[in-house]
Amino acid sequence: MIYFYDGSKPSFLTALLAAYSDDGAVLSSRSAQLGLGEKTVFVHADPQRAEKAEQRLLSYDPKCMQDLDLLLRSGADDRDKVAFDYFRLLAARKHPVRGMLAEDAAAAADDCIRRVEYEVHRFHGFVRFLESASGALYAPIAPDNDICDLLLPHFCARLAQCPFVIHDVKRKRAAVYDGTHTFTAPLDRAEVALSADEAAWQELWKKYYKSVNIPSRERLKQMRGYMPVRYWKFMPEKLGDLK
Amino acid sequence: MISEEKLQILTESAKYDVSCSSSGSRRKNEGGIGNGYAAGCCHSFTPDGRCISLLKILLSNDCIFRCKYCMSRADADVPRATATPEEICTLVMDFYKRNYIEGLFLSSAVVKSPDYAMEQLVRTVKMLRTEYNFHGYIHVKGIPHADSLLAHEAAKYADRMSYNIELPSETSLKLLAPQKSKESLLLPMKQLQRETLAFRAEKRKGYFLPAGQTTQMIIGASPEPDGQILRLTQSLYRANGLKRVYYSSYVPVVQDSLLPAVGAKPMREHRLYEADWLLRFYGFSAEEIVEDDGNLSLELDPKCAWALRNPQFFPVEVNRAPLEVLLRVPGIGARSAQKILSARRYAKLGFSDLKKMRVVLKRARHFITAGGKFFGTENQAVLRGLLTAGEAQAGAVQLDFFRELQAARTALTGEL
Ligand code: SF4
Repeated sequence: MIYFYDGSKPSFLTALLAAYSDDGAVLSSRSAQLGLGEKTVFVHADPQRAEKAEQRLLSYDPKCMQDLDLLLRSGADDRDKVAFDYFRLLAARKHPVRGMLAEDAAAAADDCIRRVEYEVHRFHGFVRFLESASGALYAPIAPDNDICDLLLPHFCARLAQCPFVIHDVKRKRAAVYDGTHTFTAPLDRAEVALSADEAAWQELWKKYYKSVNIPSRERLKQMRGYMPVRYWKFMPEKLGDLK
Repeated sequence: MISEEKLQILTESAKYDVSCSSSGSRRKNEGGIGNGYAAGCCHSFTPDGRCISLLKILLSNDCIFRCKYCMSRADADVPRATATPEEICTLVMDFYKRNYIEGLFLSSAVVKSPDYAMEQLVRTVKMLRTEYNFHGYIHVKGIPHADSLLAHEAAKYADRMSYNIELPSETSLKLLAPQKSKESLLLPMKQLQRETLAFRAEKRKGYFLPAGQTTQMIIGASPEPDGQILRLTQSLYRANGLKRVYYSSYVPVVQDSLLPAVGAKPMREHRLYEADWLLRFYGFSAEEIVEDDGNLSLELDPKCAWALRNPQFFPVEVNRAPLEVLLRVPGIGARSAQKILSARRYAKLGFSDLKKMRVVLKRARHFITAGGKFFGTENQAVLRGLLTAGEAQAGAVQLDFFRELQAARTALTGEL
């Protein structure tokens, strides 16, 4: 049986309860190709049951909801399976399974969570803000995982005085800091009037990028490994290299 | 706003400094802009594969010294430029705000006199901290022969400082950088080390070089063997408390009869960094890695080479070996070792478990047993062949980010 859920935490937990003792269960939050004769069910979040499941799981592992949060942010194709297997293992063992890396389910979850965390770390560096006419900063991003709000604490701490918006254009969602509070909001498109100096600073940055390179030591493969091409779209210094 | 031309000149002459690391500081944002990011953070990567973390720039490239290997030396015919402290400050602020950079790496040629050059550096970083309210990362290069009070003053505002020892021996330094002396580089380093310790001991408020000191030496411009370089590196870590020693492959930007016409092999630099890694994180000593007057093997990485020289150490049992022993196994890095420690608490590990855990066994299997089983070869000649072949294939040694996340994070901060 395929259990469809909407990708949210309560609906995942409800689906987990429903699918737990079904050996052939597959969880899915995305439209999937259905095999002939495959049975499906759409699981609607049941807040009460979800809450109960959460309490139970927390009693096995007080940190497991952080894992779930990160897993559900993953953009990986096998995300639903990884999360399901991991929580099924936790429910079966009734104690933390995070370190049991010789278990496929634990290793896969560990990997999946690391990828999300690693992308957050990368975007602490790869985000590029544009200065708007009002002085507020605007950064469009298109990360692999749903992480825009996870970037907030880092940038709030350092930009303290300055409001900013980090806009996930892929998921049409924005993480906003208004100078005092943070929140997330759906955001389809943003029209940003740039400050008078913005273009000139971008030019200087491109000049710097070019000057600091040592051309006789070109190692493009390495560069692309550290900074994959799919991230270049919003980086002024790399735009020229995109065909 | 600084002109593009000036920015270019002052960057081009700063770029051979290897360090771009922004790690080690937890400085807080005190009502302005910026803070430290202890793990370090890379903001971009240039086509040469290096990370851009800091804005690496000279205040001036107008030098009165004549270091043979340097393109800014007094008698070189190159365009000269000097930036004002204000130009540097606004550049840092506007780049930082846009998240282009993690901070500033400010250096300078010896413009007018050592004291004058150092004063300008101090003025700039003090201005950045106190007038522009910038709390991001600042690395300041020390100018040799400048007054010791100036070094002290710089350290109050900088997260990290470095005096580059430039060459791996005093003889070479005399020959190639005649105006610098061993003392002019090592004494300020010692002074700052003492002052940092005193600052910490007295638990004073504020910061004093929270990210410590580093240094750099040029490899391949002078004849010192790797053994000598690594011993020097080790003593800089142990006796001078340095955080990092960087190596920079000699690039012939200048023609001089005292200098080799060709640059150092990139592989040599790479091997030195691997050896340095073994010194810092894997519990090796320089003496174990290479003899005094010897060089590192270019074919084999230093850990493999050590393992082949010490067959009596192997194989080690992954279910029992302590961390420091696991770390000595070729092919097992910090992350894999941690995974093994974690997983073996739950179950006895066999080879199939290690595979599932994505521990790469290609090299490691010749040096370990899992549950008493051994799947490698003990024939030394064959083994050597296998390890060398693996190396050639691995080519420019790509780090797998997810396998070696911890290591990669450090690498990402420009420390490789
Ligand atoms: S002191 Fe030596 S290395 Fe530094 S800029 Fe002057 S000539 Fe170059």
